[in-house]
Amino acid sequence: MILEILKSNNAKILRHDEKVTVALVPNDKLRTTAELLFKAGCYYATGAGVDERLLGVGFSMYHIFNCEAEGRYIIIKAVASNLKIPSITPIISGANWAEREVMDMLGIFFDEHPEPVRLILPDDWPEGVYPLRKDFRYNERPPRVEFEQKREKKPGVIEVPVGPYHPALHEPEMFELYVKGEEIVGAVYRGFHIHRGMEKLAEGRMTINQIPFLAERICGICGYTHNCAYVQAIEDAAKIEVPERALYIRTILLELERIHSHMLWLGVAFHLLGFESGFMHTWRIRETFMDLAELLTGNRKTYGMNLIGGVRRNIDENKKKGLSEILDKTKKEIREIFDNATQMRELINRMEGIGVLSKKKGREIGVVGPTARGSDIDTDVRRDHPYAAYGDLEFKVPIYKDGDVLSRFLVRYEEVLESIWLIEQALDQLPPGDILNEEYELPEHTICVGATEAPRGEDVHFAIMGEGNKVYRWHPRAPTYNNLPAVPIMLKGEKLADAPIIIASIDPCFSCTDHIVIVDGEKVYRCSLDNYLGGL
Amino acid sequence: MGRFKLITKAISIGRVTEKYPFVPLEVPEGFRGKPVIDPEKCIGCTACSNACPPQALQVYDDLERGVRVVHLFIGRCIFCARCQDVCPTEAIKLTKEFELATLSDEDLHQIVELQMVRCEECGKPFDTFRHLLYTAKELQPWEREMMFLCPECKAKKVSEKLIFGKGGGYV
Repeated sequence: MILEILKSNNAKILRHDEKVTVALVPNDKLRTTAELLFKAGCYYATGAGVDERLLGVGFSMYHIFNCEAEGRYIIIKAVASNLKIPSITPIISGANWAEREVMDMLGIFFDEHPEPVRLILPDDWPEGVYPLRKDFRYNERPPRVEFEQKREKKPGVIEVPVGPYHPALHEPEMFELYVKGEEIVGAVYRGFHIHRGMEKLAEGRMTINQIPFLAERICGICGYTHNCAYVQAIEDAAKIEVPERALYIRTILLELERIHSHMLWLGVAFHLLGFESGFMHTWRIRETFMDLAELLTGNRKTYGMNLIGGVRRNIDENKKKGLSEILDKTKKEIREIFDNATQMRELINRMEGIGVLSKKKGREIGVVGPTARGSDIDTDVRRDHPYAAYGDLEFKVPIYKDGDVLSRFLVRYEEVLESIWLIEQALDQLPPGDILNEEYELPEHTICVGATEAPRGEDVHFAIMGEGNKVYRWHPRAPTYNNLPAVPIMLKGEKLADAPIIIASIDPCFSCTDHIVIVDGEKVYRCSLDNYLGGL
Repeated sequence: MGRFKLITKAISIGRVTEKYPFVPLEVPEGFRGKPVIDPEKCIGCTACSNACPPQALQVYDDLERGVRVVHLFIGRCIFCARCQDVCPTEAIKLTKEFELATLSDEDLHQIVELQMVRCEECGKPFDTFRHLLYTAKELQPWEREMMFLCPECKAKKVSEKLIFGKGGGYV
C-alpha cells in the first residue's frame, strides 16, 4: 500500500527492503504524499536536513514516518530548489519542530510554514550562519550579536516560573505557567538551553566505531538505547549479521536499563507526591539493578557495551546465575512496595484524573512510549519493529485508557514487571556462540535508520554513511522531543500544586531533547508552543 | 493499611546506606576505572589513540628529541576501555581505581616517552624502536634490509631498484 502511494505521486524509490523504504518525492507532490501517508496510519517520527552539496545534490530534507502496520520506516526525501521546500506542518503539526530545526541549522526555508521563527539557535547567534552546513567547521565560534528581548505580558494572569532547573528531575528546562487563582490557564515551554553539538562532532571528527560512545552520552539515564539505535542504523546500512548471542545480551541490558529508569521515575513520582518512604524504598530496590549493570558491563551507567556488529563483553555462567537469583528476590520486593502503594487512597487521589491527555490529541502531537500507552495509544517499537531479540521473546504491552497521571504511573509499573520477565526469558534462551562480528564492509552514502523503544518512548536514529569509516550525517531524535508538546495540554485547567507531577509524568529528559542545539547559557530562547498548539 | 506494612518492612531491612568514605568500597571484577599505561610494554603503535573516542589518549612525535610521546589525560577519559581492547601488547589496562579527585592537574596526566629510530638515509626519526622490533617479526627476509628507512626513503629506494633493476626482491 505504501509503495502504491509513493508511486502514484511520481516518487523515485531509492531503497525498499524489509524494514526501510526511501523515496525521492518531487517538491510539488511532497505535501500530498505526506498527507496520504499520514492518513494511511503512518506517524511522523522525525525530520532531518542534510547538506548534500558534497554529494552533488544540494540541500535536502528527509521526513521519517513510522508505519506501525507494516513494521517499516518510510523516509521521504525532498531536494531544496533555491533553498526552498514546501512545508508539511500545515498538514502534520508534528513536523513543526523538525522543520524549524532544519531552518536554524541548515538554512533551508519551508514555504507556508505557520511559524517560521527560530527554535534552537539563540537570539545572539548571527543571521545567516548555519552550523550544520558542511563548510562550517565543528570547532568554529561565530561572534555574538546584540538583540532585543521580546516578552509579552498577558493581562490579568500571574506568571509562575517552574525552572530553569526542574525542581525534582534536576535538569534544565523552563515552564512558564500562567495562573488565575490556583488554576493554570496556560503554559509555555522554553527549552533548548543545552549545547552539546553532538551531530556536528560526530560528522566532523569521529569514526564510525567511536560514535556509539558519543550516542550513549545523549542521555544519562537511557543512554544504552541511543547507543543501540545508532548501532542498529549502521548495521542496517551495512547489512551486518549480528551474532544471536550478542542480540540476546543487548536485550538483557536494554531491559535492565528500562527497569532502572522506571524505578527512578516511580521514586521521583513518590517524592513529588510527598510519599518519601516510598521514594526511599523504590530507590533502594533500584540500587540492586545498578549493581547488576556494574557486574555485567563494568559500570553503573554508560555501559559502553556495543560496537558495530555485536557486543564487547560476554555474560558467563557465574554472572548468569547471580543475575537470576537477584531478579527473583527483587521481583517480590517490587510487588510488595507497589501493591502497598497502590492501596493508599491519598496517593492515588493525587494522580487520578489529573493531567489528562486524550487519545485524539495524543495522536495529533505524536506522543510515544508510556505517555502514549497511558492514553490508549497502542504503540511499542519492540513489538512493531522487532529489534535485538524481541522477535523471539514473549511480552505484553500494557495499555491504559484514562490518559491521566495514574495511567502513566501504572503503565510504568507493569513495564517493570514485564522487563523482569523478558530478562528471565532471555537468560533462559541465551544461545551459545560468538558475540562480535567484525568482518563487514561499510557501504558509502547509504541512507539508514535505527529505532529502539527507550524507557520514555521511541528513539529514532537517522544516518547517512560517509566515506572512509565516517558518517556523512547522523541525526538522533529522543522521545521527549515528541512528548513535550503534550505537557501544556495536560497542564491546562489543573491546580498549580499538581504542576510538578504533571510535568514529571511524561518522564521528561530535557538533555536528550536538547542534545543537538546551540544555545547561549544565559539567554534562553522562547519557543512558543502557543501557536503550535492552536493557542492555549 | 499499606503504610503500616511499609513501616514493618523498613524495620526489617534496617540501614542500607554504606559507610563509604570510612570503609573502602568493593567493585566487581571487570570494573572500568582509571587507565594506566605500562611504560615497559608500550610500543607506541598509536592503536589506542586511533580508537579513543574523546581523544584522551594522544600520540605525537617530538622530532627534535627523537621521542614518541604517548600522552594520557584522564580529565578527558570516558572509561570506555576501547584502548584496552585494541592494545596489541596489553600495555594499557583499566584498573579498579575510581577515586580520581585531585587538587593537582598533574595527577591526571600520564606521559610515556619512547625512543625513536632515525632513518639511515635522511636521519629523520620515523618509528619507535619497540614498534619496529614488534613488526620485524612479520617481515619477509628481503624486506629486512630496508627496515631502518623511513617510509619516504623506502619508497624511493624501491622505485630505484625497480628502475635500475639491480635484482631487488620486489622485482
